[in-house]
Amino acid sequence: MEQKPIIDVRNVKKVYHVGSVDVHALRGIDLTIAPGELCCIIGRSGSGKSTLLNMLAGLEPVTSGEVVIANKHLERMTQSELILFRQRHVGFIFQSFNLMPYYTALENVAFPLSFRGVPRKVRLRRAKEALKTVGLESHMNHKPSQMSGGQQQRVGIARALVTDPEIIFADEPTGNLDSNTSDDVMRSICDTVRSKNKTLIMVTHDPHMAEFADKVINILDGKIIDIHYNEQPQSI
Amino acid sequence: MKLGDMLRTAFMNLWRRKLRAFLTVLGMVIGTSSIVVMVSLGVGIRQSTIESYASMGSLTNITVSSWRWVPSADGSSGTSTEKKLDKKSVETFKTIPGVIAVMPQIQTYGMIKSGKWVSDCNIMGIDQEVAAQFGIDLSEGRYPAYKRGGSTYEIVMSQDVLNWFYDPNTGRQATDNDGNSRVTLDSRFQLTFDSRNIYQSGMGISEGEEPLGKMYRLEAVGLVSPNNNEFSWYCLMDLEALKKLAKENPSMNLDTSVYNQVLVKCADTDAVSSVKAAIDEMGFGTSSLQDAVEQAEQQMQQIQYLLGAIGGVSLLVAAIGIMNTMMMSIYERTREIGIIKVLGCRMGNIAGLFLCEAAYIGLFGGALGLGVSYGLSQVINMLVGGSGFRSVIPLYLAAGALGFSVLVAMISGLYPALRAMRLSPLTAIRNE
Ligand SMILES: Nc1ncnc2c1ncn2[C@@H]1O[C@H](COP(=O)(O)OP(=O)(O)OP(=O)(O)O)[C@@H](O)[C@H]1O
Ligand SMILES: [Mg+2]
Repeated sequence: MEQKPIIDVRNVKKVYHVGSVDVHALRGIDLTIAPGELCCIIGRSGSGKSTLLNMLAGLEPVTSGEVVIANKHLERMTQSELILFRQRHVGFIFQSFNLMPYYTALENVAFPLSFRGVPRKVRLRRAKEALKTVGLESHMNHKPSQMSGGQQQRVGIARALVTDPEIIFADEPTGNLDSNTSDDVMRSICDTVRSKNKTLIMVTHDPHMAEFADKVINILDGKIIDIHYNEQPQSI
Repeated sequence: MKLGDMLRTAFMNLWRRKLRAFLTVLGMVIGTSSIVVMVSLGVGIRQSTIESYASMGSLTNITVSSWRWVPSADGSSGTSTEKKLDKKSVETFKTIPGVIAVMPQIQTYGMIKSGKWVSDCNIMGIDQEVAAQFGIDLSEGRYPAYKRGGSTYEIVMSQDVLNWFYDPNTGRQATDNDGNSRVTLDSRFQLTFDSRNIYQSGMGISEGEEPLGKMYRLEAVGLVSPNNNEFSWYCLMDLEALKKLAKENPSMNLDTSVYNQVLVKCADTDAVSSVKAAIDEMGFGTSSLQDAVEQAEQQMQQIQYLLGAIGGVSLLVAAIGIMNTMMMSIYERTREIGIIKVLGCRMGNIAGLFLCEAAYIGLFGGALGLGVSYGLSQVINMLVGGSGFRSVIPLYLAAGALGFSVLVAMISGLYPALRAMRLSPLTAIRNE
């Protein structure tokens, strides 16, 4: 399965300057991810998982090294180019859901489409479809405060998928959920991503969650210490 | 992001914080209405000033005289130069763009006799064709015409001359017990330019004296409007008729080949200054009420600036209020801004959303402020109406105020909008 990678990371380093101290969050990461791969980054707290994910999503600039996604060099892009890049290629699932509290589920899912200039009618139609794929067609007109955490996160999944991105990033998408719900949500994410043939990059510190992924990247102190493939991911 | 979506989203963001938005709008209402009311007072004062000038005579008239004052270089002294005002110059005035009518005038002094009563009068020769255009209004009758070859001359009397009739022998006024003149337009009149006809009647002419001037029969065909304007003082006769009389009476000492003055009528007040300059250029002296009006307007402008500045202070306070509200809402919505940035909202759209919110505050504040201004303006006019002090809100002021308040609001929103635009999207992801 030698395919041209959709993500190609070469010797990426990230240094935070906190006062006079330099925090080396990433110390030289080399990584390739093929299209359609479900990929999980695990590691201890503070090991640099979130930093790496944010960098891949174009939310944080690298200190050195190259990040090539869909043949584009993120490290050379300006802020506005990065936003355009995110519009076209990236969907994002947050740990704390981050739904707009005053919008209904349907409006929340339709929201990212408005930034892309999609007309309202089309937006709502596509949002409905997305909500259906995560099994929430009965909760379309609920506000986030009227839904459980798991339901909210599924709205979050629908929102990440509605723009039809190639890559979906998720930083501890089950971090705020109990373990039963976590499994459901994880299955929901993996099922939809697989059925639509998207690429998923997900961060977690829960080894159990990692069992859903095809590829597990283990990070420690800003370095990849191990990459292994699950022969039989739980999500199939 | 589509403009419609942007407007809707921005409106909803405001609507969600109704009370705060309302208070900010209220600040803008006060700011806008104080500016509008202040400026409307300035406009009102200006209008009533112009009206009071206009009641003295037409603002579009220019009086041209043959004498021109040329100030010396330092302005402390000067010399007068003369240029003859004749038929030819009248024709050239007619060709100046912006001129719609020209009327040469000659003036003289005569005595009118009616039975035993006598009155002195200033007589102006006018052209009945254009007299109406120059605001020579009659309260009765018609303009005087010239009957060539006739022995009777037509005259339009002024009320003052009628009132001034007296008996030169006794000095008694020709008024009855009610103060009304016994001499009316229907009386028989005679005109002379030789005082000996009045005061030395019956005495013979001494040796070597000029022969007595003629007495002319007059027919009064009208009465000059007594309204306080520049013509109420004169009796009016036809220009050509008066010329003929001048030729027959050398004692009048009136050169009929030139005019005392020429009146020039301009199409509108805007044309006055250019027409005036063109005539000045030819070397004549000019004056117009417009000069006085312009001078008054210059002083008025300072008052208007002052009034506007007073209103401006409250608008400034309102603008700071907007800025404060917007900054607060950005701090509150830091996370939300981060989220929409991650979801792919462009930088420009984020700034646009916040600018729209500010613009809404300006628009609502401005519109409500205008409503309040119209109300206040009516109250002011009701309270002090008729004292020459009034409040007028012309359309340009209303439109300008609305535009200005939106502009001010957007300027106040600019910095907060840029702040929002530059916020890092990572704030959305970090968990508190
Ligand atoms: N904005 C920042 N400024 C300074 N240091 C930072 C910043 N963000 C992260 N770090 C540091 O970089 C290192 C990696 O942080 P990161 O958030 O990537 O860890 P993580 O693996 O996601 O941990 P967790 O599992 O707790 O979320 C940490 O030592 C952290 O202190
Ligand atoms: Mg993390």
